[in-house]
Formats: sequence, C-alpha cells, structure tokens
Amino acid sequence: MQADANESNSVSRGSNLSSTSDAISRPENALTIGTITRRAAVGGMAAAALGFAVFGPRGSKEVTGGRVVLDYWEKWTGIEGKAMQRVVNDFNNSQSRIFVRYFAMSGIDQKTQVAIAGKAPPDVVGLWNYNVPSFAAAGAIEPLDELGAEFGVGLEKYAAGIRQVLTYPDAAGKERMWATVNTGGTLAMYYNKAHFREAGLDPEKPPLTIAELDAYALKCTVKSKTQAGDYARVGFHHREPGWWNFIWGYHFGGSLYDEKTKQATLDSPENIAAYEWMQSYGKAYGIDALNTMRSSFGNYDSAQNAFINGSVSMILQGPWLANMINSHKPDLDYGVAPFPVAERLYEKDAPIGLIDTDVLVIPKGVRNPKASMEFVAYTQRPDVVEFLSTVHCKGSPLASSSEAFRKNHPNRGIEVFEAIGRSPRSFRVPPTPTWLALRDQMEFMIDDVWNNRRSAAQALNGAQRRGQAIVDRDSDQRRRRAGSSAGGVV
Amino acid sequence: MKKQMRESLAGYAWISPWLFGFVVFLALPAAMSLYFSFTDYPLLESPVWVGGKNYTRMLTDSTLHTTLLNTGVYAAATIPLSVALSVVLAALINTRGLVGRRFFEVAVFVPTLVPLVAGAMVWMWLLNGEFGFLNQVLGIFWIDGPNWLLDKNWAMPALILIAIWGVGQSTVLSLAALREVPQQLYEAAELDGMGPIRSFFNVTLPMISPMILFNTITMMIGVLQVFVVPYVIFQKDRGGPGMRGYFYTSYLYDNAFSYGQMGYACAMAWVQTLIILILTGLMFYASRKLVHYRSA
Repeated sequence: MQADANESNSVSRGSNLSSTSDAISRPENALTIGTITRRAAVGGMAAAALGFAVFGPRGSKEVTGGRVVLDYWEKWTGIEGKAMQRVVNDFNNSQSRIFVRYFAMSGIDQKTQVAIAGKAPPDVVGLWNYNVPSFAAAGAIEPLDELGAEFGVGLEKYAAGIRQVLTYPDAAGKERMWATVNTGGTLAMYYNKAHFREAGLDPEKPPLTIAELDAYALKCTVKSKTQAGDYARVGFHHREPGWWNFIWGYHFGGSLYDEKTKQATLDSPENIAAYEWMQSYGKAYGIDALNTMRSSFGNYDSAQNAFINGSVSMILQGPWLANMINSHKPDLDYGVAPFPVAERLYEKDAPIGLIDTDVLVIPKGVRNPKASMEFVAYTQRPDVVEFLSTVHCKGSPLASSSEAFRKNHPNRGIEVFEAIGRSPRSFRVPPTPTWLALRDQMEFMIDDVWNNRRSAAQALNGAQRRGQAIVDRDSDQRRRRAGSSAGGVV
Repeated sequence: MKKQMRESLAGYAWISPWLFGFVVFLALPAAMSLYFSFTDYPLLESPVWVGGKNYTRMLTDSTLHTTLLNTGVYAAATIPLSVALSVVLAALINTRGLVGRRFFEVAVFVPTLVPLVAGAMVWMWLLNGEFGFLNQVLGIFWIDGPNWLLDKNWAMPALILIAIWGVGQSTVLSLAALREVPQQLYEAAELDGMGPIRSFFNVTLPMISPMILFNTITMMIGVLQVFVVPYVIFQKDRGGPGMRGYFYTSYLYDNAFSYGQMGYACAMAWVQTLIILILTGLMFYASRKLVHYRSA
C-alpha cells in the first residue's frame, strides 16, 4: 500500500523526477516518466487530431452497393413529416441507385442559405414559395426547365395559379422554372355552419363579398353574459391567427408590389380601403373588447384554437386547418368558401386567394443534380402528390386530380382550395427578393392601424416610404453587383 | 536557451487547443465580419466592396433607430432594477438566523437554469391578458390587469419583468460577496452607533461594490444583446405591439438571415460591439470613485 502511494506520488510529480537522485540512478537522456507524459500527451493529441482528420467521420455520399446518397431537408414534423418520410421510403425501395435521407428542421430557409454559402448544400430542400425569388436571383438553386424536362416535370403539369410561384426571371431576364410543388396550399375562408344556423343564416350560402362578410359577422357575434362589453364569440377577427396581415388589400383589388415597374404599392387606394375596413371592426365592436377576445385565443394546433373552440365563426386559413379540426374536434360542422372580396371583384368561377405552397428546390453545387431531380420527379407523380396532399389535408397542385382523391379527401373544402389553385385570379406574395423586408413593413404598422392609433392612409404612407426604400436599395445592390461581376466600377 | 525554447514550445503546445479555437472560432470570424461590414453581402452571393455605405446607412435607417431606442429603454430599466434586486435579495437571504436559507438560494437561482425559450413560453401564458396568472392575482386586488403582450404600453414592462426574473445568477454572486465582508467592520459600525440601514449603506455596499460593478457590466453586455425572449414571444406579432418588442439584435438577425443584408448586419454587429466597449469603459471610469477595492 505504501509502495503504491509512493509510486503514484512520483508519477504525479511529473518532470521534477529528472532531478538529483533519479538523474544519478538513470542513464542520461533516458526518457523519464515526466518527459514521457508531456511528450506523449502532446504527441498523442497531435496524433489524435491527425487521425480524426484522416480517418474521422465525413459526409460520405456513397454507401455500400454504390447507391448515391441524397440529403433531403424538409420543414415538416408530426404527421406531415411521417407522410413525407413514407414517400422517401417508397422512393428508396422503388429503385437501387439512389438513397434519400430525410432531415426535418426548423428555420429551413435560413439554414439552407448558410449551407449554400458554406458550399455544403443539401441535395434537395423543401422551402416556402416566397423563398424562390431570392434564391433564384442569387443563382443559388438549379433552374429546372431542362433538368425537369428530362424527368417529365414541367410547368404545364401544375394548376394555372400554382405555376406562378415556381418561376422567376434569371440573370438574363428570362422567366425560368426553379421549383416544383411539395403539396399545394391556398387560402380560403372556413366558417362554422352551426353558428350560421344559430344566427338564422343559410349554412350553404357563405358570404361572397366583404359587405356580406360584415353582415354575417355581426349576426354571428355573441356578447358575453358575464363580462359587460366583452364577447363570447365574434363573427370575424382580422388578427386571428394574424399570419397574413398583408393580405387584405388583395381582396379589395390591390397588391403590394408592381412587378413591371418594380415599385412597392403598399399605399394604393385599394390597400387603404382594405385597412380602413379592418379599422371599422375596432370602431364597431370596440377595440378593447376585440383585443381582450384575442388574448383568450389558444394555440393554433390545439383544441383551444379560436375557430375550433367556437370563439370565431369565420376565419382565413389554409387547408391544413382541416387536419387540426380532424384531430381536435372531428365533429365540428364547418364549411369552406373563397374568402370574400370587394363587391366589384366577385366572379363566381374565378375565386381570389393566396397561393401559399411548399416547394422543392435543388441547390446549386449539389454533387449529382440528376439524382436529386430523379427524387424530386418521383414526388411529383400524381399518385405520390395525391397521397401526400391527402395526409396534409391539402388540394392537389397539379392541373387535375382524380375523382377518388377528391371523394375520399379528409378536407371538406378540398374543391374550394383546388379551385383557387386553378383560378387565374389567385395571387402570390410579391415575387421579389425583398419580400420579407416588405412584409415586415406591413407587420410593423399593423398594430397602430388595428388599434386606430393612426389612419390607414398615414400608416400605409409610412410603410410605402420605407418599403420603396428597401426595393430601391435592392435594385442598387443588384446593379452594383452586376457591374462588379462585369468588371465595372463599383 | 535551448531549454527555454523547449519549455516555450511545450507551453504553446499545451495552449494550442485554445489558440486554435480562438483563432478559428473567434478571431477569424470577427476579422471576416469586419470585412463583410464594408461589403454588400447577401449570403447567397459573393460580397461586393461598398466602403462605409453600411455604416452611413445606419444614420438614416428609422427601423434601426426604433430598435436602438427600444434596446436603450430596456437596458436602462433592466440593469438598475436587476442589480438592485440582486443585492436586496442577497441581503435578505444573508440575514442571520433565516430559516430555509438554502431553499431561498435555490429558489432564486433556479430560473437561470430554465432554457430561455422554455421560460419565454411559460411567461407567455403567465402574462396572458385573459387567463394569465399575473392578471388573476391582480384580480384578487380588484385590479384589471392589462393585455401585457398585446398592448403597446405594456409590452416593454412585461419584457423587463421577464428579464428581472432571471436575476438569480447575480444574486448568488452578490451573496458570495456579502459573505466576504469582514464581520469586524459591522462590529465597528455598531460601536459607532450605526443601525442596520446605515450599516448597509456605509459598510455593506462599499464592500461589495466590486461585485456590483461586475454584475452591472456583465448584465449590460447581456441586456444590450437581448434577442431570444422577445423573438419567441413576438414570433407571431412581428416586432411586438407597436414594434415595442423589436430590439437591436432582432433587427440584426433579420438583416442577416431574412433580408439578405449580411454586410449591413455585420456593420450593425460592430457598432453594437463598439457601444458595449464604450459603455464598459465609461463604467470603469465612473467606478474609480464609486467602487471600493479592499487592499491586500
């Protein structure tokens, strides 16, 4: 025991052992425990680092059997993610040349930017449709016109309204296809049929115009029996869920951006009329009561969702809401209709609605674009599209869908969502790389407008000024960039 | 000389992992971001040199001015309140004969262990205007609580309240400093006829002033970079009601990753660093008269 202690003590003292008695008893230059420890440690660390660098893990693209491995980044989790994983599995089982790995992640557009900038992009990415212009303008994704054609994928495959979100001009100004659709979302109005009946309205005749929406909303509104001035239910609430605060002008015939002139049009008369309409609710119902109501709305994907629990009778939403309804309150008696528009805009066969799809793109710089396209083309097969769209509760983004798909679809509003996707009057968010900055100008003013702190015209004028500055700066930067790449003066 | 050289090399070898990390993960990225701050860099494309344009743009960027003002107001309220509260809490926990002292120490420190995102989610419900715990408590006293996170006038106080909730770390440090105050100083103060309050201001505060300075500076550095909590809370209402929840770092992040303005974001980051450095320098300067260092 004593000997062990001495030995351990001498080891721990390290290089001090090279002195006196040890030096006498050992030949000169012999490796002492101390020097061995130090050198071995440094050498060991260096060897470990070298070994890690040479033999360590790396992003291998080949697996045994010679299959090309593709990394596919997507935003979906839960049942939507599981459905996509099944598509991936089916593709992997359908052939023996390519193996796709599915990675679900949040903030996918931002992570993809960083990955592309770091020259380590995934092979296929599921982005949002509004990402297409900024990625395309930067040349960060592969154009799919020729690549897609090799695998039978072209614009003509998709519904008329959907096509617009897949294209953007390239550097030479030529309109090109940059993405395919990975389930097609459009926005429409869900309404509670039971509330309609209670209010004496025909549940099969939803409002078609903004004026009708206002009248129906008033009839569906129920005052609180416990809190004076508050509501137990409101017919319509612009801020629930509040995801598309920029959208109202489109239903009045306006837009936020003129593609031809490259000018922001945030303060157009149509937009001002739309936000004055929004303000009219605060004036009519009492803004404090509406805000109190809003604070009581629960989480979107929960039984406390304002539409699902009956706090709101009509709501602007995408087809995916049907999934939440089926999950949290399957017996909810709801209907779906195109969101109402200003009276002069109403056309029965050409509904107006936002195209809000998910898209698949192939980043520039992937090792095997053709393998990536082969997988993407597989996901665009009608049977695959209809499977995925069914699980996601969405309409088909393709030019046509099968009768069985529509008949067995879990979303009661499937025909409406598909009709909007095929409508020539459906619209997309402004196709400009500055969209997110423009959108935020609308977001930043919305609280003042909603609470009637400023007139709609004042707020939109300010947003327009800042929005146009953003658009102008982007144009300047692109000119400068073009001059720089052409060898001109910056 | 040879031995000295050997020893120097061995020393460098030992610190080489840190040196490697410092150069690769801090110095190099910092130098690159300084370069990018003089470029137009949309991340997806190569940077193009624009000189000082990103810096001059800050002078006319009204959104940046709003975020700067919000951050300033937030810091001006959060730092003194948190520092004062941490000292008061530490003094209370340090009270002689306090029953359950350990419990209070843990209770104050635990919030700092909660991940910021989880904490933010909990606070969203605590501050809910209709069902929130805080308004329920206020209701007991017949106070009609506001819509904390939906009201332009209450969003900032709500965020400050959440920040103060995480005062545990500085409280623990203050507590350690309090326990280091020599007992004989209190005895001398008592002999001089000082009561507990005078003794607190004349003995305790001067003796723990270095810790207060440390807490103030570290807190300022953190508070001026506030990001996670408002980002989570106001994810749906971009910028919060009336933009009151939109801070400098939030805008920096949006420029970098949403607006394709990485060059401008880098310039903002360097200005932020400069502001923090200047304020830290000013605090050190002011501390020469306010902070009492015990001689060895």
